[in-house]
Amino acid sequence: MTTLLVALAIGAVLFAIGLYGALSQTNLVMIMMGVELMLGGAMVNLVAFWRFLHPERIEGQMFVLIVMTVMAIEAAVGFGLGTARFRAKGSVEMEEAAELKG
Amino acid sequence: MIAQTVAVALLGAVAVWFGAAVFRTSSMVRSALSLLASMAAIGGMFLAMEAEFLGVLQLMMMATEMAIMAVFMVMYMMDPGGLGQMDMSHQKRLSLASGVLAGLAALAIAFLGGWGPVAATAPDAAAQTRALGIEMMTRSLLVFETAAVTILVAMIASVAVAIARRR
Repeated sequence: MTTLLVALAIGAVLFAIGLYGALSQTNLVMIMMGVELMLGGAMVNLVAFWRFLHPERIEGQMFVLIVMTVMAIEAAVGFGLGTARFRAKGSVEMEEAAELKG
Repeated sequence: MIAQTVAVALLGAVAVWFGAAVFRTSSMVRSALSLLASMAAIGGMFLAMEAEFLGVLQLMMMATEMAIMAVFMVMYMMDPGGLGQMDMSHQKRLSLASGVLAGLAALAIAFLGGWGPVAATAPDAAAQTRALGIEMMTRSLLVFETAAVTILVAMIASVAVAIARRR
């Protein structure tokens, strides 16, 4: 039980650091880094649940693979948008992107 | 079991340390390298928790992704080395409060949740990888294919958005 709790606590702290970063940073790439850390925390939890609660059910690992895919998609879309924004405005600072508000 | 707990705790401390370092430096390149170290430590945690396939995948994938991220940092930033000490943050108090609240909520769930009995052993690496392959190609095939098509669409859309317009 101790190892499960240690892993869950680390997942929670990583998620909290990622959330702080995603909300506090103004640069698009830094915001993406915050999101990556949040997803990293989620993955730690998923692996811990799989290993210590149901290691016979491989679906837990499948779920982690899907989260990794989400991370890759986030990076691809984020860098695509970042490059478009950089070409248009010469910057990826999100404070200068207020015109994107609906 | 004690060795496993110590390994998970140590690698977790490394992941948290470098995760915090991502937002403590004004150098974008150092941020990318800190995130790489944090993600590598998470990969190490997967290995310590006997998820060998996922651990190796995490190490390989994140090393590549962070290298790409560092290249984009250098491309986008006038000052990727952080020599000008630019401040790239806002609403710090609100962000800190949100992070602390979310962390405390997650910790409360972790420590107060009744998780039931803990499994002592996990299948070996070869059995896990085989089971994962069979799962991917049978019951989760639709999920796997959907993820594959989604990532392909995201790649094409990103290139289409980012490509320079011809005049």
